[in-house]
Amino acid sequence: MGKKLALVAVLAFSNAVFAQGFTPTRPVEAVVHTGPGGGSDLLARAVALMIEKEKLLPVRMQVVNKTGGGGAVAAAYLAEKKGETHTIGFFTGVWLTNPLTSAEAKVSLKDLTPVARLVLEPALIAVKADAPYKTLAEFVSAAKQKPGELKQSGGSITSRDNVVRQQLQRAGGARWQFISFPGGGERIAALLGGHVNMMVIEPAEAGEHIRAGNMRVLAQVTDSRLPAFPNVPTLKEAGFNVTPVPQVRGVVAPPGIPRENVAYWEGVFKKLTQTESWKKFLADNQFEDGYQNAADLTKFYEEFTGQMRGILQEAGIKTVR
Amino acid sequence: MDVLSGLMQGFAVALQPLNLLWCLVGVVLGTVVGIMPGLGPPATIAMLLPLTFLMNPASAMIMLAGIYYGAKYGGSTTSILLNIPGESASVATCFDGYQMARKGRAGAALGIAAIASFIAGTVGVLGLMLIAPPLARMALAFSSPEYFALMALGLAMVVLLAGRSMIKALLAMLVGLWLAGIGTDLFSQTSRFTFGQMELLSGVDFVVVAIGVFAIGEVLANMEGREAAKALPFPKGVRNLLPTMQDLKDSRFAFANGSIVGFLIGVLPGAGSTIASFISYGLEKAVSRRPEQFGQGVVEGVAAPEGANNAETGGALIPMLTLGIPGSSSTAVLLAALVLWGFKPGPLFIPENPALFWGLVASMYIGNLMLLVLNMPLVPLFAQVLRTPVYILYPIILGIAVIGVYSTSGSLFDVWLLAGFGLLGYLMRKLDYPSAPLILGLVLGGAMERALRQSLMMSDGSISILVSRPVSAVMLSLALLILLIPLFNKVNTWRLRALEK
Repeated sequence: MGKKLALVAVLAFSNAVFAQGFTPTRPVEAVVHTGPGGGSDLLARAVALMIEKEKLLPVRMQVVNKTGGGGAVAAAYLAEKKGETHTIGFFTGVWLTNPLTSAEAKVSLKDLTPVARLVLEPALIAVKADAPYKTLAEFVSAAKQKPGELKQSGGSITSRDNVVRQQLQRAGGARWQFISFPGGGERIAALLGGHVNMMVIEPAEAGEHIRAGNMRVLAQVTDSRLPAFPNVPTLKEAGFNVTPVPQVRGVVAPPGIPRENVAYWEGVFKKLTQTESWKKFLADNQFEDGYQNAADLTKFYEEFTGQMRGILQEAGIKTVR
Repeated sequence: MDVLSGLMQGFAVALQPLNLLWCLVGVVLGTVVGIMPGLGPPATIAMLLPLTFLMNPASAMIMLAGIYYGAKYGGSTTSILLNIPGESASVATCFDGYQMARKGRAGAALGIAAIASFIAGTVGVLGLMLIAPPLARMALAFSSPEYFALMALGLAMVVLLAGRSMIKALLAMLVGLWLAGIGTDLFSQTSRFTFGQMELLSGVDFVVVAIGVFAIGEVLANMEGREAAKALPFPKGVRNLLPTMQDLKDSRFAFANGSIVGFLIGVLPGAGSTIASFISYGLEKAVSRRPEQFGQGVVEGVAAPEGANNAETGGALIPMLTLGIPGSSSTAVLLAALVLWGFKPGPLFIPENPALFWGLVASMYIGNLMLLVLNMPLVPLFAQVLRTPVYILYPIILGIAVIGVYSTSGSLFDVWLLAGFGLLGYLMRKLDYPSAPLILGLVLGGAMERALRQSLMMSDGSISILVSRPVSAVMLSLALLILLIPLFNKVNTWRLRALEK
């Protein structure tokens, strides 16, 4: 009995602390930098659904697409909303790398209020099923023998695809071509059509091609093996001393919002990541739990930016900041 | 036999009353979304995703696909009536569609658009049903050099889209190509022509340029002659509200051309319906017996691009369903929906979910029929829009244009751009520069540059990769042939003149 009472008291207390500061009174605007169907857009819509289902917000969360500038427009929009308590944004690592290479992208994540890091997206290194390379080492040594002849399909030159390539080239002393394709579908089509030899792919995208026998995975770009790929070595296990640069997604708020507002958002997203719906969402999409609170997220910014700047400069990409 | 039993199974799914209802909801929503410029099918599908969790996946897929192909039907309406392309795929419909409307043949144009859409849409589904897996494999053989050749072929169409002056057409095309170059370069991450504006980092939105140059430019030009333009000519009598037998006869080839070109280009993940509609329009003009009347309101100039952008739907679903590879933002959202419902799109999707696939195919036959039945009676109704006096109509067009542009990006910068391109469109009209080549350059420029650079990276700098691959070589020769057409015409005129003497 006593225990129960204490529990009730604790619950009541925590609720009181929670309610005391800030509660949204009108729909919350969730800003994303991609159009409908893009990665951030889909994450934000899924989060909105889960928040509704788990009753984490007393109001509705509405996704707003502010496209353009590779994230710069959305970041600038949030910066303009200084002090606005009913707006949040879903960021990706692009919000940190874009300002490094584009002078026009003036607002960085560091100018906004950190809330939470949510997701880490792991990746795999895949080749076509009939490719001669059985291991990553075989691929790299083949590239070494024919410098510049092997090809990798990927996104833009600042994307994780190219970062992984730069790291591997350095670790293995080899060189191969990196061919940019704007759409994920085109990258896969280029590999399956035999026009390129290798690509960095997300596990959810690769899974079905592997099952159908079209693709083979050589290594995973992760620190430890993913549950769905227990037999595939990580980069380190494959013999390459490379620290994977994480692909992250998370939540930020406009600058200059009251402290209790930050605490409120932190609370909402911490609770979200503890729900069953969230765990199912991560499993379905083969994401890793990347939760970090605001304080850790700020430290992550520095680490990530430093790492990226080094890699970009090494790759001969001009950095402006 | 396999197909037959599959189709029977599919109709058993699609003809369930509930699925019929969702199909109807989808195509009606699609038509509405298509009519409204700005809000496109990807946005609508994304917004409706939460709702679909309450439905069974077959019904949900049937409805969402209905929005996708239904929007293609609706897209032509504003192109024809107001010169505002409802979506990028209906830009080519403006060329002759709006001119027909100005001549009092709006009803015929709308009607032929609906009929072409129906025929091509159905051909697209037939293709999806019969030859999906082999075609998907063929699409994989298509890579950057072939895409470059395809874009070159499209760009060669400029000689067909030129008005009186070839030089002016080429200049307009170059401006379009330049506009396509604005933004962050994918390969080097450097900014091009952004003038320090972050909004320009991702380039100029094609829809902004098209609506500005076509709709705003047209309104501005017409406002000058306000004494003369009290109302646009309105079709007299019921007969003029629908296409005539002669119109149908004139469009015979366009129906086939639109269906096949649209479907084949749709299968390629890197092309898209806008390119399909332009190429189909160009092809129609190239083989026409009255090419000189194109751009002045010929019915086959509406039928070909409208057909192409509808057949594209069936084609675009092929890589998505058989390989799990989306070719456009609409198919990307549909693919995301499948994942959210717990399916695993990929090479094994159809064999493992035959009921869903065949249900979708069957529903698309039904949906296309529904769209025809829905749209034909609406034609005379929509044509009434032109009875509105211009002093009311023009402000409405301006309003729709601004809202349409703002709703796609949520950015006021784009509205200013719209104003700028409106002014450009006006000046081009005044100085007799054709606007179609500008749009063509803009549509193809980005993809063409990317394909060329990708090809050269693949071959380590050797340009021979473009001609050593058979498909690419054939398409480049075709492009060359098209470029020579004006020369042949000139030679022919000389010859005739010489004969007369």
